[in-house]
Amino acid sequence: MTVSTNGSAEFAPSLRAGTALAFPPLSFAARRRRVTGVVLRDLAALRRSPVRVFEIIFWPVVELVVWGYVTLFLESQKVPFVVSMLLGAVLLWQVLHRASNEVAIGFLEDIWSRNLLNMHVTPVTPPEYMTGLVLFSLTKIAAGITAMALLAYVIYGFGLLTVGIGLVPFMALLMIMGWALAFVAISCVLRFGEGAQVLAWSLVFVFQPLAGVFYPVSVLPQPLQYIAAFVPATHVFEGMRAVLNGGAIPWDRMAFAGVLDVVYVALALWLYAVTLRHARAKGRLSRFGE
Amino acid sequence: MKILEATSLAKRFGPVQAVADVSLTVRQGEIAGLLGPNGAGKSTTLHMLLGLVTPDSGTIRMFGLDLARHRTEVLSQVNFSASYLGLPGVLHVREVLDSFARMYGLRQPRERVDEIVELLEIGPLLRRKVIELSSGQQTRIQLAKALLNDPRLLILDEPTAALDPDAGDRIRGLLVRVARESGKALLITSHNMREVERMCDRIHFISGGRIVATGTAAELASDFGVEDLEEVFLKVARQGSIHI
Ligand SMILES: Nc1ncnc2c1ncn2[C@@H]1O[C@H](COP(=O)(O)OP(=O)(O)O)[C@@H](O)[C@H]1O
Ligand SMILES: [Mg+2]
Repeated sequence: MTVSTNGSAEFAPSLRAGTALAFPPLSFAARRRRVTGVVLRDLAALRRSPVRVFEIIFWPVVELVVWGYVTLFLESQKVPFVVSMLLGAVLLWQVLHRASNEVAIGFLEDIWSRNLLNMHVTPVTPPEYMTGLVLFSLTKIAAGITAMALLAYVIYGFGLLTVGIGLVPFMALLMIMGWALAFVAISCVLRFGEGAQVLAWSLVFVFQPLAGVFYPVSVLPQPLQYIAAFVPATHVFEGMRAVLNGGAIPWDRMAFAGVLDVVYVALALWLYAVTLRHARAKGRLSRFGE
Repeated sequence: MKILEATSLAKRFGPVQAVADVSLTVRQGEIAGLLGPNGAGKSTTLHMLLGLVTPDSGTIRMFGLDLARHRTEVLSQVNFSASYLGLPGVLHVREVLDSFARMYGLRQPRERVDEIVELLEIGPLLRRKVIELSSGQQTRIQLAKALLNDPRLLILDEPTAALDPDAGDRIRGLLVRVARESGKALLITSHNMREVERMCDRIHFISGGRIVATGTAAELASDFGVEDLEEVFLKVARQGSIHI
């Protein structure tokens, strides 16, 4: 940077040449840099709002305490029930819940701060944007689950790690399903406007009764059981119970859930692409926040 | 050399024909103005040029590339700022600029931010939250964001609309200086005649979704047989679209 005699700053020649300033737009380096931009923005937003940091810990702790004491009570009533089943369910449910919420809220923040158009005139592509939101959500999920797992151990003596190596596929499958649901919620907000925001929080709960989080799917009516079989989370929670009962990890179920996850994500991304095209055709992007 | 070439753009929103027929070119280094009354179709035109709104018909080429087919390449070399946009309010100015610099795929984001900060003299604002700034300061930050990728075309929708006359004047001076020094093209909308008269090399007068006249301020006035741009504006605004 040089300052000319009349006091006005000029562009430094080194950075002035347009081509040298940025990576070629379609290169991998440029894509990685753009994704980093999305993640960085969300991390900064988290850092600047203490309430959000507090929330990472707050809700999981509340759930854990309530459900933990419910199981202790049931045990004291001689209800044959394994504490670890419920606590494991509460912990794993948080993975799905957070994955879905954090990604959807990342998108809503752009609407709330009237930043949506700024985002949509950057060269960030929809897959890059989604990748950024997903990577960011990982940090929050990791923080929340770690806090909860520690607490479960301290209060109830439940070690999440007793689930064993199965935790890896369980958590991965739940996170991916959560992200897919978030993309669906985001698409609904784009399509139906800010009134649909509530879906960002609630869509995941549609799957709670179906997925057999707290009970085996076998208690559901037969027709619902058929539907539940096509929910990835169902297989995770059934798998978790199998493992906590001393059984082996049902890898065939995990593989099937993995296939379902791929289908869910593909459908959700397709839905987002369609709604984005529709939003551009109808001029909706500029109508948010009005 | 033509930076932007838009041909026969049209856009209808339900019953409203927001843009009926707009053709527009912007040349390298030119400051072009899109002047017209409220509801004339200025913002819709800009949004089509930025890929935010898909035109019903017409074509958009920038830097020789078709926007619909080369969106990422085109958007890398364009930027946008508007009076009605916000930035993530809880973030520090530095964080906003750092993240946008990356979203434009810059090789050295931090260095580039430092450079722009010096250019716009916003150093003292870097550690402040965006929401805490005055609207004049926020406009400056928006402009800083819009200059990060050293755009070949900078599109501005009523950039001074939210500002008092003094702040507006400073921003105008800044814009002209930046455009002249870096040789970038500017396309700016306004319903402020003096702003357009002072800044623009070429003015496109838009009314009822059509470009009704194009020229310098002096040319427009003489074409319409009036004294100055203000009278042109009143004439067009009151009579609807005039073809000359
Ligand atoms: N996204 C939109 N959806 C529906 N109507 C719109 C939309 N954008 C603009 N319009 C309408 O199109 C017309 C032109 O609007 P606009 O391009 O914003 O004008 P200007 O920027 O010149 O004031 C107005 O009647 C406006 O209400
Ligand atoms: Mg407008």
